[in-house]
Amino acid sequence: MTITETMTHRPVRPADRSAEKAAAKLRRAARARTGAIAYHTAGAAIVLFFIAPFVIAGLSSFRNATEGQTAPLPPWPRAGFSVDSYRTLDTFGAGIWQHTVNSALVSLSTVVLTVVVSLLAGYGFSRYRFPFKNTLFVLIIATLMIPFQSILTPLFIILAKLGLNNSLFGLTLVYVTLQLPFSVFMMRNAFDAVPKEIEEAARIDGARDLRLLVRVLLPLVLPGAATVAIFAFLNAWNEFLAALVLLSSNEHYTLPVLMMAVRAGRLGAINWGAVQAGVVVMTVPCLFVFLLLQRYYMRGLMAGAVK
Amino acid sequence: MNMMAREMIHSGSDVTATSVELVDVRKSFGAVEVIHGIDLTIPEGSFVVFVGPSGCGKSTLLRMIAGLEEVTDGLIAIKGREVTDLDPSERGIAMVFQSYALYPHMTVRDNLAFGLKMARTPAEEIAARVASAAGILKIEHLLDRRPGQLSGGQRQRVAIGRAIVRKPDVFLFDEPLSNLDAELRVSMRIEIARLHRELGNTMIYVTHDQTEAMTLADRIVVLRDGRIEQVGSPREIYQDPDNLFVAGFIGSPRMNMLSGAMEEEGHVRVAGQTLPAPVSAPQGETVTLGIRPEHLRVAGAGENGLPAQVDFSEYLGGTQYLYCTLSDGQAITAEHRAPGAIAAGTLVQLAWDVGEARLFDSQGRRLR
Ligand SMILES: Nc1ncnc2c1ncn2[C@@H]1O[C@H](COP(=O)(O)OP(=O)(O)OP(=O)(O)O)[C@@H](O)[C@H]1O
Ligand SMILES: [Mg+2]
Repeated sequence: MTITETMTHRPVRPADRSAEKAAAKLRRAARARTGAIAYHTAGAAIVLFFIAPFVIAGLSSFRNATEGQTAPLPPWPRAGFSVDSYRTLDTFGAGIWQHTVNSALVSLSTVVLTVVVSLLAGYGFSRYRFPFKNTLFVLIIATLMIPFQSILTPLFIILAKLGLNNSLFGLTLVYVTLQLPFSVFMMRNAFDAVPKEIEEAARIDGARDLRLLVRVLLPLVLPGAATVAIFAFLNAWNEFLAALVLLSSNEHYTLPVLMMAVRAGRLGAINWGAVQAGVVVMTVPCLFVFLLLQRYYMRGLMAGAVK
Repeated sequence: MNMMAREMIHSGSDVTATSVELVDVRKSFGAVEVIHGIDLTIPEGSFVVFVGPSGCGKSTLLRMIAGLEEVTDGLIAIKGREVTDLDPSERGIAMVFQSYALYPHMTVRDNLAFGLKMARTPAEEIAARVASAAGILKIEHLLDRRPGQLSGGQRQRVAIGRAIVRKPDVFLFDEPLSNLDAELRVSMRIEIARLHRELGNTMIYVTHDQTEAMTLADRIVVLRDGRIEQVGSPREIYQDPDNLFVAGFIGSPRMNMLSGAMEEEGHVRVAGQTLPAPVSAPQGETVTLGIRPEHLRVAGAGENGLPAQVDFSEYLGGTQYLYCTLSDGQAITAEHRAPGAIAAGTLVQLAWDVGEARLFDSQGRRLR
């Protein structure tokens, strides 16, 4: 077609170009197919890569007692599925149930306390004007730079003075303290992103104080709160050093401390089955929490990135 | 001061005609006073528009009436009841924000119902009021959507609906249309005027768009730097401005302000010409002669006028604006309705009826 033809707007009969159009359609379809294959292959490879550790730990925890004495190679039960490893795990410490409850108690309390305190603190830092506000905020953030191992001894002494050493509540307080700087920072950002007018509209509508916070603001900062909750849970659930130092009696140990004992083995022999079972017990709640909150979590971390 | 001011507030019964009353209202942010003693009485059922340049305190004043901003000094009464220290929800007001400020996590229905739920209104009444407000604003089909799924115009309707369901004594609007595009703005403006006719409530409306002010208002309050410059009907404000600021702020293109001096009885000297003055003032006094572009005309043959050189002209179809310079260098804009083109560089005589001119003294006050 020449330029003059285009310029005069002479209608082109559809038959003229239908073959060309069909060929183009085929080409596009082929390209889309190649793209889809590449996309799904890469996706499957990545999924495999990430899921492998869970599968290996899961399968090898179901080997029977004799297999459990040997290193998990190959990492699947050859003599049928068995829960022997979990039974063995239960013979360590005060029983796996007790330690799981300890860990769950400490982690959930840490989550609740951290979320409540950082919600209120974040709201205060975001909305109120008071002297030295920014100095105070920077100071709180600055504590993130202190390696917490360096304050473990002072913390131990303080807790001892308060009569809270070797107690799960004392440990919870330590975890909350460690968790707060990041959480307050996160929640302040979340509240900063909520337009002031929404709060004012709610005040005109008669929502005040706690009702304002719960009914109007909390849903708007939920992604931030979920992020704070996930971090608080994972950090408290997995924390080892402080738990080891601050807890002294067997029945108070949290799962990571118990796992240390399992990993050390008895009489020089490591029960690999028990180790793998412990890994599974420790992993499942983390997976569960993460899957539960992940859609808020993604939004929380990306808040403000796209408008 | 407060005792006296308190007595100045009309008691509820005797003046049912008064809806909102401000008595010497002041506001400081830290050490800076931004509202300097506003006295204002707003009659029941009127549509009052606050206009003024950016930063003059329109929003601050409105937010003080709403109770969102604390009053530093002075009193506010709504329907004869002093509300200066009352919570926003207890003042009988509802507010529509520029940014809509809808609750993003609630459906439109819940947005409308939220205030009523907070006030523990019975469920049947909530449903009835929401339905009626949705009917008035024609948003029934949107009730189950969330604000994120609405267009700007629909969101603004919901925001207005949220105000309506509260059945307030006074509606407060803070630049409600400035986030909308030009076409939608016009239709929403007409909608708000209709709403005012139908509901009959007092409405206070903040804008810096003078078209909105002129078309919506019963009374315009012109503010500058935290003070009231003039209160009046759109007609009064336009035709009878109290001072140079009001004269210049309302009207587009702006009123021409020609500086001159008074001459012998009833005449003013401008750009080397002696012209009849609209009012007399002592001889020799420096004055400003204000004349709107639409009142200027290109004088015909033999008619006297002010000689002006056309710098350039703007053709708008129905009319054209001539941007001219007088012999002493002052700029003057004239509207020319005749169809013929006037080339740049042409020397024209600009004439006007003396009754259309306004005279201001050297302080900018109107001479009457
Ligand atoms: N929270 C605040 N802190 C300090 N100064 C403020 C605050 N809010 C408003 N001001 C000042 O008060 C003055 C009036 O502000 P206001 O928002 O009422 O202006 P406005 O007339 O609504 O302007 P615009 O047309 O731009 O909305 C401005 O000088 C502003 O800087
Ligand atoms: Mg404003």
